[in-house]
Amino acid sequence: MKYKKTMIGFAAILVCIAVFVGIYQFTRPKTMAGSKKYTVTVVDSKGEQTSYKASTDQKYLLGALKELDKNSDFSIAGKNETYGFFITTVNGKKVNYDKHKTYWAIYVNGKYGQNGCESQPVTDGDSYRLVYETSK
Amino acid sequence: MIPIDLSMKQVNKVSSHELVQMAFLTALLEASKLAMASIPNVEPVTLLLILYTLYFGWYTLLIAAAYILLETLIWGLNIWVLMYMYIWPILIALVMQIRSSDSVWTYALLAAAFGLFFGAMCSLVYLFIAGPVGALSWWITGIPFDILHSISNFFMVVFLLKPLRHLFDRTLKNNAR
Repeated sequence: MKYKKTMIGFAAILVCIAVFVGIYQFTRPKTMAGSKKYTVTVVDSKGEQTSYKASTDQKYLLGALKELDKNSDFSIAGKNETYGFFITTVNGKKVNYDKHKTYWAIYVNGKYGQNGCESQPVTDGDSYRLVYETSK
Repeated sequence: MIPIDLSMKQVNKVSSHELVQMAFLTALLEASKLAMASIPNVEPVTLLLILYTLYFGWYTLLIAAAYILLETLIWGLNIWVLMYMYIWPILIALVMQIRSSDSVWTYALLAAAFGLFFGAMCSLVYLFIAGPVGALSWWITGIPFDILHSISNFFMVVFLLKPLRHLFDRTLKNNAR
């Protein structure tokens, strides 16, 4: 009886994992192949804005930004952390989350981004804003 | 076999002896959490709170409260503090429902389910901050981490609960009044 209950519990967990994986796969942002035009606007700590228009074959924003770094005066640096790529510097402006709670926020088409830059798909016509922000 | 059932005892007050024990166990909880902080969503807190609840019953809520306070002092006040304020008491309450069980599998399954639904439970706070869509999106983004959390919780309890209970049986029994 005890064994049966344990097996039912174990099966229930596995079913939940399968359902969760399904939800994640079904709702995850879709990538787009081929060339895509996009705009990146950098808003620094003083509110000054610099815009870049470019096109890329990269599927994700991080790849596109690194490409832009090579091909223009835009620059980006960061570090791979446990939860993904953390942008530390944009156009020479460095954030320090540990000391000053500052970070580079990503906005996608005017809305606060729901993905890290390594998992944010680039689609044609997208507009990204990298904004120097302070966590409250 | 549970040697000391503090939640059932007649005395309502926590003795200084128990208080020191709980303070030490809180420090152990925080230290082990920090030691494993570099691995995302692999944490010993679930295992240890299950273990503590088996020995201290509802008094484990005091350990959880002290732990949340310590975490807040280290990392600062943030949204997750609100989440912790109900997440860990939920775990303790769930363990209290099944604490008569001697099977390590029962606790392993509870730990696995707790890890799996950790993000969903935490996302309740985002219901008030970002609305239903924001909360749902926050939960879905974290699903891979919840699965990792669930698997690591399961194996941690399977492999460590029994030896730790052995250790607690010996240590707490010797220290008991």
